[in-house]
Amino acid sequence: MAGKTLSDKILDAHALDDDAGATHRRVRIDALLGHDATTALIADAFEERNLKVWDPDRVILTNDHFSPPATAERADISNRFLAFARNCGVKHLMLDRGICHQLLVESPLCQPGGLIVGADSHTIMGGGIGACATGMGSTDILYALATGTTWMRWPETIKVELVGSMPDHCSGRDIILSLLQQLGESGGQYRSLEFHDLTEPKLSQDNRFAVSNMAVELGGKFGLFVPDEVTAAYCEARDGVPPSGLIRPDVDAVYERVVTIDLGAMRPMVAKPWSPANVVEVAELNETPITVAFLGSCSSGRLSDLREAADELQGHQVDPGVRFVVIPASVEVFKAALRAGYVESLTEAGAIFNHSSCGPCGGIDKGVLGATDVCVSTSNRNFRGRMGHWESQTYLASARTVARAARRGRLAPDLY
Amino acid sequence: MANDIITGRAWVFGDDLNTDVIHPPEFFSLHPDKVKRGLFHKFDPTLQSRLEPGDILVGGKNFGCGSSRETSMRSLLLNELGAIVAVSFARIFFRNATNNGLRCFTFAQPDVRHTIVEGDRLTLDVSASELQPANGDSISLAPTGPFIQKIWAAGGLLHMPPFGPSA
Ligand code: SF4
Repeated sequence: MAGKTLSDKILDAHALDDDAGATHRRVRIDALLGHDATTALIADAFEERNLKVWDPDRVILTNDHFSPPATAERADISNRFLAFARNCGVKHLMLDRGICHQLLVESPLCQPGGLIVGADSHTIMGGGIGACATGMGSTDILYALATGTTWMRWPETIKVELVGSMPDHCSGRDIILSLLQQLGESGGQYRSLEFHDLTEPKLSQDNRFAVSNMAVELGGKFGLFVPDEVTAAYCEARDGVPPSGLIRPDVDAVYERVVTIDLGAMRPMVAKPWSPANVVEVAELNETPITVAFLGSCSSGRLSDLREAADELQGHQVDPGVRFVVIPASVEVFKAALRAGYVESLTEAGAIFNHSSCGPCGGIDKGVLGATDVCVSTSNRNFRGRMGHWESQTYLASARTVARAARRGRLAPDLY
Repeated sequence: MANDIITGRAWVFGDDLNTDVIHPPEFFSLHPDKVKRGLFHKFDPTLQSRLEPGDILVGGKNFGCGSSRETSMRSLLLNELGAIVAVSFARIFFRNATNNGLRCFTFAQPDVRHTIVEGDRLTLDVSASELQPANGDSISLAPTGPFIQKIWAAGGLLHMPPFGPSA
């Protein structure tokens, strides 16, 4: 018998039927995540059917897209969402606490080996601690919310080995941008991307989240790190108890392909407009003046990102031609950044802080781009028009690169 | 119940057509009119008003990549698109389409997509997995497995057990 990959093992453990040969099978889920926008879409259909949530203790709902709402229509959507969540008796309704994906990984409901579905594509970020977590549309979520089950195909797995030691000025963002450069926007389509951290020292949990978050930009279904001592330490610090029985792939697991990335050779990377896979090294860029810098989104906006930006800007000023918007991924991250002094350093340097929410990622809230704006961003998608005007341009990079560009007023080949 | 034979004009797109282009986030709404109007709005503000029921979107690789927002799917349904034929689909988009009964097919041979030009009259035979242009040879599509067909036949996921009659 050929060995099993990590997602094979996790899905096997959640299968509800014993029809191992079927293309699609029913599985039970451990947790469900939803946010204001996509959950509001199912509220009427759910209530009309007189459905009940299969297990209110295993559901996290949060308002993050419209937090707080900027227009009357959004306030109505938000209120519909809140009424629905309260009616359902959902245990973890987290009002204005941050971006749903960050709240998921801050919750004990997100465990290594778990199977989690969410009403948003970046749910995949739960893979950063070894969960099979994946995004779905509202109809799927309605079904899962009522039944605690969903349908799934067992995906083929691409093994991604991370080796070497990462240079100080690089981060998880550079790793995933480099993988996007290699594989392209559909290079991981339907696949489980299984990350093996063989680096020395090991990647931090924040860096792993950055990698897993953008695995969906490769088309991935799961983007999961093989759990190890970093995972265990993170869960223990969060939950007060170590995670139970970490599942690992078999040593003879069958992979569709193996990709190795040597972090020793890693350079700061940038995705140019209008694709997250349109990636070059910072050193290959032409001088490009910017008007907006954005540090935030579920893709970044974590404590280490804020620390890197604060390091870069400590005692310096943001270029007068640049608006630098910073949004911590959650209120917990914001509080930790306050305690560490990062908020003060960044504010002194000229950055502005918005409330923990999606913000201009997705063209939603304060900081959206106009026609002539050129933005360098730590978010995950630079699709045309996503952050605002159809003519605006977004470059994706790490927090450090965003901060350096904000200080310089431009992206440039000699930022490093 | 959607028809087994779908007829409409072709609208041709390239690779990696993402959901932000299909339906810009600004048109996210609980109001069907607004959701309907948003289809392709930034890409080409005149496109939505030119669509007719039954029209078929023809795409390249990775059709529908990006967001899971089901408003993209609702907009396609509200505009009564007949089907989508592409080289490949992004996972979440394919699920959303299937769950809502919108037929998504992939080409048996990806290169033939280049023989279809915008405005071509197409006839899609769902049970034969075949696409027939008004002028030209018929094009084979990859057959959809029984699982997907079961959801189509039910009329979408919310008509499947436990919501609908047991299969
Ligand atoms: S921060 Fe951006 S990518 Fe993340 S959930 Fe919000 S809109 Fe989506």
